[in-house]
Amino acid sequence: MELNVENVRVYHKKSLGIAGASLSANEGEIIGFIGADGAGKSSLIHAIAGVIPFEGDVTFNGLTYHSPKEAEPLKPSIGLMPQGIGLVLYDLLTVDEHLRFFANIHNIKQDVTFKAYKLRLLKMAGLDAFQDRQAGKLSGGMMQKLSLICTLLHRPKLLLLDEPTTGVDPLSRIELWEILDEIRKSEGTISIISTAYMQEAAKMDKILLFDEQEIIAQGTSSELLDSVRAMSYVEGIKTQEPCIRTLHATYCLSPLEAEHTEPSLEALFFVNALQKGKKMPLIEITNKEKTVELPDVVMEAKGLTKVFGSFTANENVDMTLHKGEILGLLGANGAGKTTFIKMLLGLYPIDGGELTLLGKSIQTQEDRQALKASIGYVSQHFALYNDMSVEENLLYFASMRGIAMDVAKSRISRYALELGFDEYLNAMPHELPLGINQRFSLASALLHEPVILFLDEPTSGVDAIARAKFWELLKALKERWEISILITTHYMSEAEFCDRVVLLRQGKKIADHTIAEFYAEHPKAQSFEEIFLEYYR
Amino acid sequence: MKLGVVKAYVLKELTEIIRSRLIIMVYLMPTMVLVLFGYGIRMEVTGARTLIIDNDQSHYSQLLVSKFEHSKYFDVTIEKRGEAKALDEIHKAKNDILIIIPESFEKRLLHGQTTQIGVFLDAAFPTRGSTMESYVKGVVLDAAGQMLERLAGNAPTISINQRTLFNQAMRDEDAIVPGLIGLVMLIAPAILAALLIVKEKERGTIFNFYASPVSKSEFIAAKLIPVFLLHSINIFILFLWATYLFEVPFRGSFLLYWLTSELYLVISLSIGMLISIITRTQIVAVVLTVIVTIIPGFLYSGILMPISSMVGVSRYEAHIFPVMYYNHILYDVFLVGEGLASSKTVTYIFILALYAFSMLTLGSFLLKKELR
Repeated sequence: MELNVENVRVYHKKSLGIAGASLSANEGEIIGFIGADGAGKSSLIHAIAGVIPFEGDVTFNGLTYHSPKEAEPLKPSIGLMPQGIGLVLYDLLTVDEHLRFFANIHNIKQDVTFKAYKLRLLKMAGLDAFQDRQAGKLSGGMMQKLSLICTLLHRPKLLLLDEPTTGVDPLSRIELWEILDEIRKSEGTISIISTAYMQEAAKMDKILLFDEQEIIAQGTSSELLDSVRAMSYVEGIKTQEPCIRTLHATYCLSPLEAEHTEPSLEALFFVNALQKGKKMPLIEITNKEKTVELPDVVMEAKGLTKVFGSFTANENVDMTLHKGEILGLLGANGAGKTTFIKMLLGLYPIDGGELTLLGKSIQTQEDRQALKASIGYVSQHFALYNDMSVEENLLYFASMRGIAMDVAKSRISRYALELGFDEYLNAMPHELPLGINQRFSLASALLHEPVILFLDEPTSGVDAIARAKFWELLKALKERWEISILITTHYMSEAEFCDRVVLLRQGKKIADHTIAEFYAEHPKAQSFEEIFLEYYR
Repeated sequence: MKLGVVKAYVLKELTEIIRSRLIIMVYLMPTMVLVLFGYGIRMEVTGARTLIIDNDQSHYSQLLVSKFEHSKYFDVTIEKRGEAKALDEIHKAKNDILIIIPESFEKRLLHGQTTQIGVFLDAAFPTRGSTMESYVKGVVLDAAGQMLERLAGNAPTISINQRTLFNQAMRDEDAIVPGLIGLVMLIAPAILAALLIVKEKERGTIFNFYASPVSKSEFIAAKLIPVFLLHSINIFILFLWATYLFEVPFRGSFLLYWLTSELYLVISLSIGMLISIITRTQIVAVVLTVIVTIIPGFLYSGILMPISSMVGVSRYEAHIFPVMYYNHILYDVFLVGEGLASSKTVTYIFILALYAFSMLTLGSFLLKKELR
């Protein structure tokens, strides 16, 4: 049993999805698709799954197909999990009803063997205790795990997973991988998985790198790393050669007289960008127009509690945010990170505890109103008005903040240059790549020059280059503006850029240290991910 | 077609419809439309507020006044304040009709001279105005006939001996409510059917259909059966409202009513399905369904005007939409009761069946099991 993809090309209406894609996979292999948003990963996955018209040949299990119709006989042995959290789930059906529905539409006889298999999947996904919960009330990570086991229910021989782990916490990600590993060993399933997490990609048998509607490289993790090792140097090198600098490393095509560093798979993207002659905008933040004297502690929460019915989302959480500090708020899906930020912002009423912002105790709505001008917020689901251009959107946000038109205009054009989205100012929101969208949601939160910034998963689903640039921006803001940032993320590598990290579990704070302290406490840990998992095991 | 697959889908749809409380709309909307429109549309005029200025105060003028007073169509007040004041009342929309009987009314009649009476009508709504006008004329003519008989000593005049058929009391309810059933049964099932498919497209759950072995016919059956079952109950509910609340007579065969309604329901479902194939979002699907169904459903239903009185293009258009055929059968079973004995009814049932069949075929042909 093997999969062969020969020169596949997909069009979405008139625009190209993917061109000239070829790959092959053997029984039990896991193939990883990595690349920026819109690079063509989903298009190829849809073509192989036979849900979109395409040109070229796909052969699986001895049957070649060129269209969704010809792929029909193979559908019983294909499992597709499309991109999007909980995309294939019905909000109003319970976990158990989902499993029965998916079993029925695949015409599976629900006998003893099936029931045992179902229970095993439920246990692996940690959902066996939630069988009566409606899907709409599950956390993002649980939804993804439910989608995955629904896809696995009919024991597919070809498994196509499109970013199954985006927005999923490291713990759930490990569980997902355990499920996958077991299935491929017991069923010999070929899996194709696209991912934004490079640590995950490293575990796959073969990696395909996508860029601009093409597959630009393929090989095992170590082969790919070897190809870029020569171009990776330590951070902070000064040179005239064209190069890309990140917080981790410097990438340069021509040999430099500098120390090399061990590359991660993310290096592939930077090297590729260099090879295509792309220039990274230099991140340069100018000083704020006016400065204000700030207390040393800008935010102090004491025993903050939030209760939804019988469910305690946050219980007695203490937290302080200092001037010019980046504080990372980490935890599994549903640990109460977003709820906590929403309490700080006043989007949820506080059910218990005290909150002090910029030295003022927050009691009433008026107290908050006075501080609105000092706080910036980027939500998990930042949305723009689709009928207005980027600039018009930003002007709209500015006028909502009561900023004078001329001030707003000059700030927008300055941010556009500094945050590197000036070429997109007149674009409509649906034309934007996700990474750009991120910068410009940041710009909208900075328009009123706040002193505190709350960022809720600003980098989920954003490609490696855009993420690296985003963090450089945050760092520059911190240094130039002495801004304080509270940020949540599921990328453990990003935690290392924070000054201090707070870990939440089931609504309670379980750790609050600087990065150095974390490493001191766990001397064996190689990366922050390992430390994180120590706390949740 | 695998029955297990269809059953699983149907069960899922029903669960979702109930949990999302869409079920309330399924049963509330048809009833609401029937009750609101049933009470709201009034063609006939009763109790028109009428002022009469009797300047003659004679025997014959009293006779004329009493004719108006005894008619259910007029609500008469004798106006004594004078003409100007009375006209003012009409201007203020406090009264609808002003009738002025001149001083020499009786005298001129007895002398065999023509006499005139003055009539002022509020014709702000033309239909209502012309209806009132004809009522006034009728009463005056009736009174004139009687007067002539007396004056000429039983001279023969023409008297009308009319019998109205099918709607003896000429009640508005009898004319409107059956037509409304035809309208409601076209709109409501179409909206629900369109929603069920588009909802999956909008959410992304349509991938479960694209990527699984579920066939097109299974998917269509799974989407249409729940709506068919739920709205079948409405056929009975609407029947009960019509016969009990609006007291519309039912003279035909209930079996004919029921089976034709189910056939019509299938047509409505397939309209919804066709719309869900070309739309992507639920809101567009609902708006489009309402536009596509409500205009022909209302114009060509025979509620506002009978199809037989339409001419030219509108007559052809009426024949394109299914509502005309169904309404013909509806009016037959409610008011006439001829049933299958009429060859027109048989032909119309056949046309409805053909309609349902071709719409379903077209829908399953156009539905694609792939992203676009």
